Amino acid sequence: MDSKKQTIGILPFGEIPEIVPKIIAGNIIAYLNLLAEIIPPAENPDYALNGKRLQYDAGTILMNLESSCLNNYEKVIGILDVDLFVPIFSHVFGEAKQGGKYALVSLFRLKTNPDGSAIPSSIFYERGAKVALHELGHLYNLFHCEDKRCLMHFSGGLEDLDETPLYFCRYCTAFFKDALLR
Amino acid sequence: MDKKLSIMVVDDEMIIRESFLHWFEKYGHVVGTASSGAEALEKLETFPFEVLFVDIKMPGMDGIELLERVKADYPDTIVIIITAYGSIETAVKAMKMGAADYLLKPFKPEQLSLVMEKVSYQKKLASRYKYLKGRLEQVTRFDNIIGQSPAMEKIFSLIPDIALSDSSILLTGETGTGKELVAKAIHAKSRRANLPFIAINCGAVPDSLLGSELFGHQKGAFTGATHSRKGYLEVVSGGTLFLDEIGEISPKMQIDLLRVLEEKKITKIGNSQPIEVDFRLISATRQDLEKKIADGSFREDFFYRINVIKTEIPPLRDRREDIPYLIQHFLEKYSQETTKRVDHVSVHAIKLLKQYDWPGNVRELENAIERAVVLSKSRTLEIKDFSFLQPPTVPFSRTRSLLEMEQEHIRQILEECTWNVTKAAGVLNINRVTLHKKIKRYNLKGKT
Repeated sequence: MDSKKQTIGILPFGEIPEIVPKIIAGNIIAYLNLLAEIIPPAENPDYALNGKRLQYDAGTILMNLESSCLNNYEKVIGILDVDLFVPIFSHVFGEAKQGGKYALVSLFRLKTNPDGSAIPSSIFYERGAKVALHELGHLYNLFHCEDKRCLMHFSGGLEDLDETPLYFCRYCTAFFKDALLR
Repeated sequence: MDKKLSIMVVDDEMIIRESFLHWFEKYGHVVGTASSGAEALEKLETFPFEVLFVDIKMPGMDGIELLERVKADYPDTIVIIITAYGSIETAVKAMKMGAADYLLKPFKPEQLSLVMEKVSYQKKLASRYKYLKGRLEQVTRFDNIIGQSPAMEKIFSLIPDIALSDSSILLTGETGTGKELVAKAIHAKSRRANLPFIAINCGAVPDSLLGSELFGHQKGAFTGATHSRKGYLEVVSGGTLFLDEIGEISPKMQIDLLRVLEEKKITKIGNSQPIEVDFRLISATRQDLEKKIADGSFREDFFYRINVIKTEIPPLRDRREDIPYLIQHFLEKYSQETTKRVDHVSVHAIKLLKQYDWPGNVRELENAIERAVVLSKSRTLEIKDFSFLQPPTVPFSRTRSLLEMEQEHIRQILEECTWNVTKAAGVLNINRVTLHKKIKRYNLKGKT
C-alpha cells in the first residue's frame, strides 16, 4: 500500500463528534497539501486513566499507539474527548514526541472559554484543527517558533490558542517542506 | 527564546525526566538528564549545562545540597527548583540560596514557558555583563597584571609611585615575566596616559634599521629611503617609549640614545635640523647589564641614564602562589576567545602546574593554558591535558664537576629505563657490575 505512505491517519478515540476528524483532515489536505484519511474509531483509552488525577496519561496512550499496527500511515493523529496530562503539567491540549509517528489532540478543554462560558462551534473546530496541525508539525520535527503569528508558536492557554493563526510562518513552512522531502 | 539552551533535568523519577526531555526537545534545546545529584555533578564536569531543573526531594544528595554545590562550583549556571505542594518553605530557602525560580508540580505549560522566558532574559543580561566587564578590563590595563604574592604586591605598590615621576626606568627579569605589562601599567598610571605608548623590541630589529626606526630619516638619506619617515622618538611625542631587550643594542646606538636622553633632541638621518622630543623611557632587559659593563659591551654612562629607577620582575617559580590566579585569568580569557566552555582546572592539575618550573614564565603558562583549552574535550582541565609540559631539566653548568655530571647522567638514564639496570648499562655502554657499583657509590635510588 505504497500510496498511503504519505497519508496522515486521523484516529478518533471513543465518542467524539464525527465532524471533528473531518475538519482536521480537511485542514491537513488544504493547508499542508498532504493526504489525510479517517481511521475507524478506537475504544476510549481507559487503560491510561490516572486514578489520582482523574485525567488520561498522554504518554501511556502514545506508547500504546507505538505498538499498534497502523503501518499504512506516515503519521497518525489521535483525537480524544478526555482530559490529557503529562506528568509535569496540569494538562495538555495535545502531545507528540518530537520527530515521532503518533500525536494526540484533546478536545476536552477546547469546548468552552477559560471562564466556562460557551463558544460558537466554529471556534471549537478551529481550535481542534490548530492543535492537530501544531502537533503534526512536531511529528515532522518542527520546533516551537518564536513568531507569534505562526502555528508552531507555543500556546499555553486558550487565549493564546485563539490568537494563533492556522498557518505556519515562512520559516516553519520551509522547514516543513524540507522535512517532507526527506 | 531565540537562543537554544543546554538544559539538564535532575530528578529521581524517570517519568518526570522524560516529560521535561520531550518538552524541551520541542524547542530544540540540548537536553540531558540525571537521576541523582551525584550524577548531575559528574555530568557537569564534562558538559557545561546552562540551566538545571532540580527536584528538591531526591534520595542521597537532595536538591538543596545540589544547588549549593552547583552555585559554588558553577556560579553562572541557572538553577530552577521543582517542588511539590507542601514544600514551599524549602523552595523559598532555595531561592535565597541562588535558585532563579521554582515550579510547583504539576504546573501549567504556560508557567514553564514563563520560567524559560525569564531564564532566557537572565542569560542575555549575563552575557551583556560579561561583555562590558571584558571591555572595562581592557581599559583598566593595570588589572592585566595578575598576582597576590608579596613580590607582586610590592610591584603593585611601586607602580603608582614611579608612574608619577618622569625618571627613566629599567625593568629586569627573565623572559616572559611580564615586563611589557608592567611598563604599560606605569604608562597608564602616569600623566602621559593619554599619549602614545610605543614598544620596540631592540633584539628583534637589526642595529642598522634601529637607528632609522628610532630617529626617522629624510627622503634619499640612504638607498631605499624613498620617503621621509618620522622615527618613534618623534611619533611618541609626549608619551612613553618602551625599549625591550635594551642589552642587545650596539655601543654606537647607546651613544646616540644617551645624547637624546641628555639633550631631548633628535636629528633625523640625512637631516641636520634637530627636533625637540619629549618622552619617558622605560627599558627592559633579561641580561645582567652590570656584567656587560664589566666585559665592555655596555656603556656605563648609558646604563646610569636608563637605570634611574630599577625594578625587578620576579620569575614565576619565585611566586608560585600566583599560579592559580594566573590560571583562572587565562582560563577565562581563552574560553571566551575560543568560545569553548572550559572553566575549571582540577586540583591535581593545579598542583602539577604549581610544581612546574616555568622557564618561560607567565608567557609559557599562558601558552600552556591556551593549548590545553583548545584541545580539551571536557570543561575541566586535568593532568593529562598538560602532558606536553617537559619535566624540569638540570641546566648545564660550567661550575659542575665531572663526578656530578656523571652522577646526574646515570640517574637520568636509569629513570628513562625505569631502573632496569641491564637496559641502562646497555645505553651507557658499560657493564652491569660497573653500573651497580656506580649506583652504590652515588647512592642513587629510584622514585618510590
